[in-house]
Amino acid sequence: MKRILVVLLTLSLLVAVVAGCSSEPAEEDQAVVIYQNKVEIHDQLTAFAETYKEATGKEVIVKTSGGDSPYAEALRAEFQSDRQPDIFVIEGMGGYNTWESKLQPFEEEEWMEFTDLEFVVDGKIIGFPVAVEAWGMAYNEDMLEQAGVDPSTLTSQEAYRAAFEKIDGMKDELGISSVVAMAAGPDMRWVTGLHNFNGYLSAGLPYGDTTVLDKLNNGEADMDRLTEYADWVELLFEYADRTVLLTGNYDSQVSQFGTEKAAFIHQGNWIDPWLEENGVDFPMAFAPHASVKGTHESIFIGAPSFYVINSESTNQEAAREFLNFMVTEEAGHKYMVEEAKMVPAFSNVNLTPSTPLSANVVEWMKKDAKYTWLQNDMPDGFGMGTIAPIYEAFAKGDITKAQFIEQIVGKIEEIE
Amino acid sequence: MNKRIKDNLVFWLFLAPALFSFLVVVIIPFFMGLYYSMTDWTAVAGLEANWVGFKNYEDMFSDLAFRYSFIRTFLFSVLSVITINVIALFFAFLVTREIRFRNFYRAGFFIPNLIGGLVLGYIWQFIFKEVVPAIGGLLGINFIENLLLLADPNLTLIGLIMAFTWQYAGYIMMIYVAALLNVPQELLEASEIDGANFWQKLRNITIPMIAQAFTITSFLTLVNSFKQYDIIVALTAGGPTDIYKGEVVNSTELLAVHIYNIAFKYNKMAQGQARAIIFFLVLSVVSIAQVYYNKQKEIEM
Repeated sequence: MKRILVVLLTLSLLVAVVAGCSSEPAEEDQAVVIYQNKVEIHDQLTAFAETYKEATGKEVIVKTSGGDSPYAEALRAEFQSDRQPDIFVIEGMGGYNTWESKLQPFEEEEWMEFTDLEFVVDGKIIGFPVAVEAWGMAYNEDMLEQAGVDPSTLTSQEAYRAAFEKIDGMKDELGISSVVAMAAGPDMRWVTGLHNFNGYLSAGLPYGDTTVLDKLNNGEADMDRLTEYADWVELLFEYADRTVLLTGNYDSQVSQFGTEKAAFIHQGNWIDPWLEENGVDFPMAFAPHASVKGTHESIFIGAPSFYVINSESTNQEAAREFLNFMVTEEAGHKYMVEEAKMVPAFSNVNLTPSTPLSANVVEWMKKDAKYTWLQNDMPDGFGMGTIAPIYEAFAKGDITKAQFIEQIVGKIEEIE
Repeated sequence: MNKRIKDNLVFWLFLAPALFSFLVVVIIPFFMGLYYSMTDWTAVAGLEANWVGFKNYEDMFSDLAFRYSFIRTFLFSVLSVITINVIALFFAFLVTREIRFRNFYRAGFFIPNLIGGLVLGYIWQFIFKEVVPAIGGLLGINFIENLLLLADPNLTLIGLIMAFTWQYAGYIMMIYVAALLNVPQELLEASEIDGANFWQKLRNITIPMIAQAFTITSFLTLVNSFKQYDIIVALTAGGPTDIYKGEVVNSTELLAVHIYNIAFKYNKMAQGQARAIIFFLVLSVVSIAQVYYNKQKEIEM
């Protein structure tokens, strides 16, 4: 027994020694350490770091945490270790508030002239946009053509209503169960409380306009906008499939669209992998949300996460060079678009993503037709926790449109 | 004298590890929690917690969602305690009879308990969303086919109780089985000779003899249904909505889920902590009262 114990102890000591050697600090000190949160692009980013090393001779080490292990907590641990990352990831204001003391603003960088999706606080550029995501009313092109609806006319609530009515009348012909694949159930509160509500915050306004959001954060509702917006919500709910609307989850919503049981879906380009995996190949594209009255010619485009520079890093210059390389060199473009399958946030990238909705997002970006993402700048829990249940109650018919407006106004006014 | 000191030393030395860990992981956090519940703590690095007194407690009781959650939790707990115990006792009677394959049945009833709450929640979600409408379609009953079980607040609560009963009844059954096997056969035989029928035997011998098991099972079921979290998260995600005094509320957001949401989704850590303290107090009172009451019913052989 004693002998086994000794062997075990020796073994564990050996393991510790070997593990200790592999993370020799001297080697890492010259290299840039990037600590990121997307498990699905870890291999691609590592390969790109290799390319970078071949081209410039400088080393970049990619560390990843995410998926099942929460990135924010792992990042805290990383900062406690003796080798802090030089580049890490934040996801907007929430991350900024947590890490404010560790963030080094970017100054004059080459990548800046190619994007306007960087993360800015008080005029200081803090974050490098990792990728672009967007949502709108994604539609099945073949189906709209068959129904005789021209998607380029879908720019106002009136046009949508007319189109929905027409398609609804051809349900049997088109083989659909409802016009729109929309979900408002307990599993899908991000769709209503964040994405749909963002229409109230930014649709029809110039890019970067935060007046409605600022009012909301001061506990003030814009009654006219909210009344117009409620019509849009009502329209979507009216032409949605009741089962998917009330109890559906992500899979049931996307599969309703993917199996051609709906002409439209209220989702973004992140559904591309799902569609690809399930062999969906009909042509599709985005139309704008007509969230309020007037003509809409933009979709909601933004960056969900940003690379930031650690202010305590001794490698800041090298870290910046790496990010500039990614944007200004062909190899970086290839990595972003073809390897990592992301929609790049930079206008000098001429490659097109292979998946249909992402490719369409690039077109909207080129037209500069974008509405701001403001859904993450509301108070914590407001979108998904406070107002999303009101959408569900409205969808079920428990409350009327007037009550829907009244309830949302009430919740906005509760914000201090 | 010397021996007494030595005895004392050994006593405290052996107790020290347990006492130390109890102190560190239970007692100290408990009082820290009590302190944080009276501050505006948010867990954001670099922000100091400010003392706010009983404000969090006042906010809590004026919050309709919390009051509704409380009522629903009580309803859920009472109903679950009843269904679980009735079904578990029934199963226990079945599998202690002279029937074939009774060990197979015992294992079968117990197995759901080995499935994690999250997995089980998703299984039942699938049953309620896909299987029930499919059965309705097969039978040609439109009402069942179009029944959105998880969109109705009361049906969803019943669904939750079903899922929880399915998970927990097997475990409680095992406790009853052990108790039933300990009922002295001679008492039963004697009563049979005296001409007692099944119900008389049950009321006058079996039930009093397994009263100890009742204390344990009702305590376990009560506490576990009060604290229910994982099945709810997987099965209903707190929904569907209900209207309570003109306010839209989440019908299955029971206390544990509610506290988690307040603390982590709204990032109101102190507020969540205050609610957790009240939750702890209520649960303590209810469970102590229950154990006290049941203890009185127990008899000694």
